[in-house]
Amino acid sequence: MSQSYVEKPDPALQEVEKSANGRAHRQAAVEASSWSKMVKADSVTGDQDLAYGQPAIVAVRWLMIISGLILAIWNVENLQDLRLSLIVIFLLAITNFYLQAQLLIKKPVIKPVVYGASAVDLLLITFLVATQGGYTSSIYVFYLPAIAAFSVAFPRWLTGIYVLFLMMVYWIIASVSVDSEQMIIIIRLLMIAAVAFCGSLYLTIERARRQEAGAYAEELRLAMGE
Amino acid sequence: MQSQRSLAQETAEDIFFGQLVIIYARWFVIVAMVVLALWSSSTISQLVSAVLIIVPLMAINFFVHGRYLMEKPVNRLLLTLLSSIDLLAITLLIIFWPTDRGLLNQFYIFYYPIVLAFAFVSTPRSSLLYTLASLVLYTAACFVIEPAMLMDSLWLERLTIRLITLAAMGVLGAYYWRSQRARMRQAIGPEPEFEPA
Repeated sequence: MSQSYVEKPDPALQEVEKSANGRAHRQAAVEASSWSKMVKADSVTGDQDLAYGQPAIVAVRWLMIISGLILAIWNVENLQDLRLSLIVIFLLAITNFYLQAQLLIKKPVIKPVVYGASAVDLLLITFLVATQGGYTSSIYVFYLPAIAAFSVAFPRWLTGIYVLFLMMVYWIIASVSVDSEQMIIIIRLLMIAAVAFCGSLYLTIERARRQEAGAYAEELRLAMGE
Repeated sequence: MQSQRSLAQETAEDIFFGQLVIIYARWFVIVAMVVLALWSSSTISQLVSAVLIIVPLMAINFFVHGRYLMEKPVNRLLLTLLSSIDLLAITLLIIFWPTDRGLLNQFYIFYYPIVLAFAFVSTPRSSLLYTLASLVLYTAACFVIEPAMLMDSLWLERLTIRLITLAAMGVLGAYYWRSQRARMRQAIGPEPEFEPA
């Protein structure tokens, strides 16, 4: 690692360091650190975050549906498993088509429906994991894009509740499975937590940046107008 | 000139503020590796070998995190280099783990938060290249260890699931990067015009 990479930052970085945004960003992060302030901050901008995040949530669900369909018919072992998988996939597809239609006709976001649909995603993946071997099922990786999609769109407290609940349920299902290894289960749970944490952290950072940049731009406009 | 400079500044700001996400993703992977090392080592030499790999990773991440806290975060080139080292380290873990290797190895899951975090912070082109690199490295690692296993339909199915979901992480991160960039421009609004006195 060359010393020059550290000692000579980009000229653009120097501009950023001099700006008010850098100092204000840390101040905003400190102020938002308490629980009640976090919930309040989430509720103020939550509708916008959800509106921007909903296309990603819907797209990830289509990905799960198409992948699930291909994988369900790829290695069919018995008719009962195939029936169960197809029922789950078709139910998901119908729900997702409704949400996609809402997006296409630009209807406002109905929060309980979006939150409920993501909860159903996690429940359905959990159901498939539980019925296809628990610990040995590879389906658990579908949790990760589902969590990544909603962690940047949902309020942080809600992401936390969903992920904690999911981790508890998955830990129980995987632990009671045959041939389970606790070490691997813990590592999987850590990575689920990592994805949720990174998504929520990104949401927090970008929200603080937007607020400070907007306030700074407004001050500049007012100053120019004087 | 004005628009080129603001694009460069936007990218610099994304790196400046966003690298905390990469730092924390790496901390999660390091903690998981520590759990792995402490739990699975059955001899002193195994544990020492693991520690010799984990401690430099911790030192590098501590250095990067420290610089961020001092408001002197590292630049894009170094960030990309360190993220590439993350990918290589995970791939080597998959190839050289003593018990389960290649497709049988469960540590492919370490790729997910690393790819997502990188995609949140970098331009879509960089993040899609990074995602592609992770897919190629993982597939190559599986092929190297047990080429015959990939002719097995069941294992091919598992590999496909893992590659699809890993690719989804990169695409999601790139989508949210673009979305946040558009929202930032909306928040700032049009630039005020200079009126000379």
